[in-house]
Amino acid sequence: MAKRGKLEIIRDILGIVQNSNSIKPTPLLRQSNISSSRFKEYFSEMIDKKFIKSVRGNRDEKLIVLTEKGNKFLEKYKTIVNFIEEFEL
Amino acid sequence: MPYHNIGRGVGRMMQEVLIGTLSMEILYSFVIIVCSLMIYFGTKELYELSGHKGLKYFRMTFLFFAVAYFFRSFIKIVIVYLGKQEIALVAPILFGKLPIFLFMYFSIMAIFYLLYSVLYKKLKHDRIHLFHLASALIAAIIIFMGGNLVLILLINILLLIFIVYVVYLSYNQSKKKKTLNLYMIYFLLSVFWILNILDILIPNVLQGFQLLIYLASSGIFLMILYKVVKKTGAN
Repeated sequence: MAKRGKLEIIRDILGIVQNSNSIKPTPLLRQSNISSSRFKEYFSEMIDKKFIKSVRGNRDEKLIVLTEKGNKFLEKYKTIVNFIEEFEL
Repeated sequence: MPYHNIGRGVGRMMQEVLIGTLSMEILYSFVIIVCSLMIYFGTKELYELSGHKGLKYFRMTFLFFAVAYFFRSFIKIVIVYLGKQEIALVAPILFGKLPIFLFMYFSIMAIFYLLYSVLYKKLKHDRIHLFHLASALIAAIIIFMGGNLVLILLINILLLIFIVYVVYLSYNQSKKKKTLNLYMIYFLLSVFWILNILDILIPNVLQGFQLLIYLASSGIFLMILYKVVKKTGAN
């Protein structure tokens, strides 16, 4: 399997959050298929960029949900990748 | 026919030619500045979402082009067409060397950023500050060496050789060989840009080809804008 690029990993993580509506950090790490150190790096980047946010669930547990900007990223992912490929950036 | 009538006729004709070239200059600058800003703002969302470095350098290229063309039209319209002497007497630095320096700096930066957008992945460290330094240095040398045409030509030929080398290298290392057309666009953009620089630094040298250069340059910018709009789906 080819090594995933940064944008692809972010797309995959956001896709997992989108499919589950809300997810705890540990299952998200497990499903994202990357090392925990890299996950931490991507996770804080996605928080900084406001793609995801953490909220409190019914039992006061920490849950990760997708923001509007995160949704936008998923919508535009193909366009971004096509553009980067087209102009060899 | 009395001599003063002939003189008046020639004067009117000269005025019409001046208005014609001035309109052409304004239209040309308008097309390039609008195209560049449309590319810059059209890719804003993609960059904000991805934070991709290549996208940043690509966008900055066109922002620099817009600024450079602004100073180019300022030099051409205000200084060349509306009488250099009178304006230069009022504020020689503000209306003389400063706009030429800024035009040179931003135009060389635009070309360097374009090259850097396809090169940066091959470099281990971020070297963009070196390009800022090189642009400022080249612009300063050209300003201080003022009327030395040989030096101006030499610097531009060296710049062109550097651009051709980088474009050729990037094309050879490109994974998808079908992108010759992109590299050809970049190459032509650089060639016509250098012709634009020569047009400013050595007035009248390209007079016979001015319209052709303007049409070709506008065509290249419109082609890139078309590619950007097609890929971003921007309206």
